[in-house]
Amino acid sequence: MTTMKYGVEQEQDWNALPDEAFRAIVRAEVEAHHPAELRYPPRRLRWAENKSWYLRMAAKGWIAPGWPREYGGMGLAPTKLLIFLEEMERWGIARFQDHGILMVGPILMRFGTEAQRRRYLPPILACEEIWCQGYSEPNAGSDLANLHTEARLEGEDFIINGQKTWTTLAHDASHIFVLARTDKTAKKQAGISFLLLDLKAPGVSVRTIRDLAGHEEFCEVFFDNVRTPASNLVGELNQGWAVAKSLLGFERIHIGSPKLPEYGLQVLLSVARARGVERDPLFRDRLAQLQLDVAHLGDIYGHFAAIVGRGEPLGPEVSLLKIWATETFQRIADLIIETAGDCGGQAGVVEMGGERIELLAPFYKARPTSIYGGSNEIQRNILARQVLNLPG
Amino acid sequence: MSDDTLRMLRDSAADFATLDAARVRRLRGTDPGFERSMWREMADMGWLGVLIPEELGGLGLDLRASAIIAEQLGRALYPEPYSASAVAATLALLHGDNAGLKQRRLPQLAAGEIIASLAWQDERGGLDLDQCAVKLREQGGARVLDGTSRFVATAGADGYIVAARSAEGLELHWIERTAAGLVCEPELRADGSMSARVRLDAVAAPAHARVASAAAARAALQLALDHAMLAASAELLGLMDCALDMTLEYLRTRVQFGKPIGSYQALQHRAVDMYIQKELTRATLGAAVVILDDPGCAPERRAAAVSSAKARAAHAALAICKEALQMHGAIGYTDEYELGLYFNRALVLSAWLGNAGAHRARYASVAALP
Repeated sequence: MTTMKYGVEQEQDWNALPDEAFRAIVRAEVEAHHPAELRYPPRRLRWAENKSWYLRMAAKGWIAPGWPREYGGMGLAPTKLLIFLEEMERWGIARFQDHGILMVGPILMRFGTEAQRRRYLPPILACEEIWCQGYSEPNAGSDLANLHTEARLEGEDFIINGQKTWTTLAHDASHIFVLARTDKTAKKQAGISFLLLDLKAPGVSVRTIRDLAGHEEFCEVFFDNVRTPASNLVGELNQGWAVAKSLLGFERIHIGSPKLPEYGLQVLLSVARARGVERDPLFRDRLAQLQLDVAHLGDIYGHFAAIVGRGEPLGPEVSLLKIWATETFQRIADLIIETAGDCGGQAGVVEMGGERIELLAPFYKARPTSIYGGSNEIQRNILARQVLNLPG
Repeated sequence: MSDDTLRMLRDSAADFATLDAARVRRLRGTDPGFERSMWREMADMGWLGVLIPEELGGLGLDLRASAIIAEQLGRALYPEPYSASAVAATLALLHGDNAGLKQRRLPQLAAGEIIASLAWQDERGGLDLDQCAVKLREQGGARVLDGTSRFVATAGADGYIVAARSAEGLELHWIERTAAGLVCEPELRADGSMSARVRLDAVAAPAHARVASAAAARAALQLALDHAMLAASAELLGLMDCALDMTLEYLRTRVQFGKPIGSYQALQHRAVDMYIQKELTRATLGAAVVILDDPGCAPERRAAAVSSAKARAAHAALAICKEALQMHGAIGYTDEYELGLYFNRALVLSAWLGNAGAHRARYASVAALP
């Protein structure tokens, strides 16, 4: 058997470097090459807008920092990976539609076949194929296992019919991974499979959904007798729920990062300066409260990051991070529009006190954070049952 | 100090300090409100000398050890003045500049032979060291103290470390409780313990009893207070953890409408919010302890870390206790039920050395704010 070579050779063994030396290398790279106009964007950037940066990262071999080197990643140990992500956040670098890196890759490494890895990992590493996530449906939101999109095995292909929704940036993606029902007689979670498919396949239609902020970031995806080869089944038939669940802990620690609340505080301070209230005692107390809420988010994020750093699995406790991060961000966003006064209803970039501030951006960004990634109500259910041992 | 040492300390503290509700109730409203015999047992465990160097009769451990002890004492609602005497007063003395007094008093403090308490606030309270209302003056060639100090944590202390303003600046003086011209007026606190208003009228302040000269007093007092604020936060963490556990157990077992009330989502979600407050307190306290244990830590960084932790702990403890009371219903409002003991201690420790609002203000003044 020949050894498949994935991606670009790494310049060195990053894990052998002292933490601060590694941090300095990453920082120098982003400060020298990341386009300034793309820092801290007020909305999700489209692929056309940020692809120059990510293609550069792909060419450098830095597109998949957490993947093992044998699969073309940087092979970063958990502590180094957190440093890498911190430096991206510190410079205000927006994520791209990175489900291929964050989800498809790790899933194929764990559950996929050698043939699937050879087929799909190289174009993910090259950013030639961009993935989106087909989980939610009109009647399967918090109750995701209630999904109705079905896949029927017919000869060498699965035939897929149904609809996915709230699919982030499907219009920028070339591929989608879906949870589909493959056994209608089994109970809920037991009859679901994890499938890969090409969005260019006949029968797929993608329709964008305009959101409250006026952006088109998420989509509906319809499947009308869409064929995908049986070889695109990941994991065992009807075992898709376990495949999907294996990545939830990671998603929650990612959503739980202090990045968004910190960005909210920056905007809040600009608005306060523009309104001349930054020394007002009432404002200062409320600001201090929120700053402490963010600081304590950082402390508890550090606690969970250390667990990841030791290579230990995250327990259900990590749900608290998602709740606290998102609701703190929302409280900050609320104070932004309250402090903005009459300007709090102005759309887009608003001129106030000589400053130009897109002050509704954090507010709009904050609202869905408590809905996506498992609503905060679901997170509280998880904590109540699995951590506090309250009865069902 | 190794993790093993800390684990052993935590285990032994947890074994020793268990809640004796009958004792806590019996001591409420009495003078001094705690037991000397228990204080000496705590000394035998080494706890009173945790922060005192070995050569002065202590264990010479760091703040992590002290925080572990404080948390366990908070869980068990000990009325003995650990944070006030073994942390606050002890550190003020240790970081003062009177070597003779340290040689004499620190071994006594470590051995539990005496109890000390800081007297530094005026009638209004607050965290400003310059608000000190006690003054030093010359009288017949000697120095004496005049003025009143309030919110002195332990009315029944044997000695007070009094902050006083002199021509040179702030100084600290060791004053015996029995000193001529000193009147101690106990004030009852919500948990049945006694703080004091200490009135000083021409009380002698000899040089040999000066804990810290103007050169050292301010830094020593602030350091002692910062560590005591953190110890109080650790006590709050311990008690809020117990109040939450008690409430969760009640939610699991109390049946109404044919089901345990903990099966109702409205209560489950509120219980989760209590849990989140507790976990935030644990995380921020842990981070603050690490910052304070760094010998190179600048006073501003220490102040920000301490106020961050105390603001969270004070808020979280009260929030958890109030919700605990509501979830228990009427039984939670009775004196015979143990929840009230946690509730009243939370009120005292949240207010002592600055409540959440006071610490938010201090955080705002030292952290990078507009």
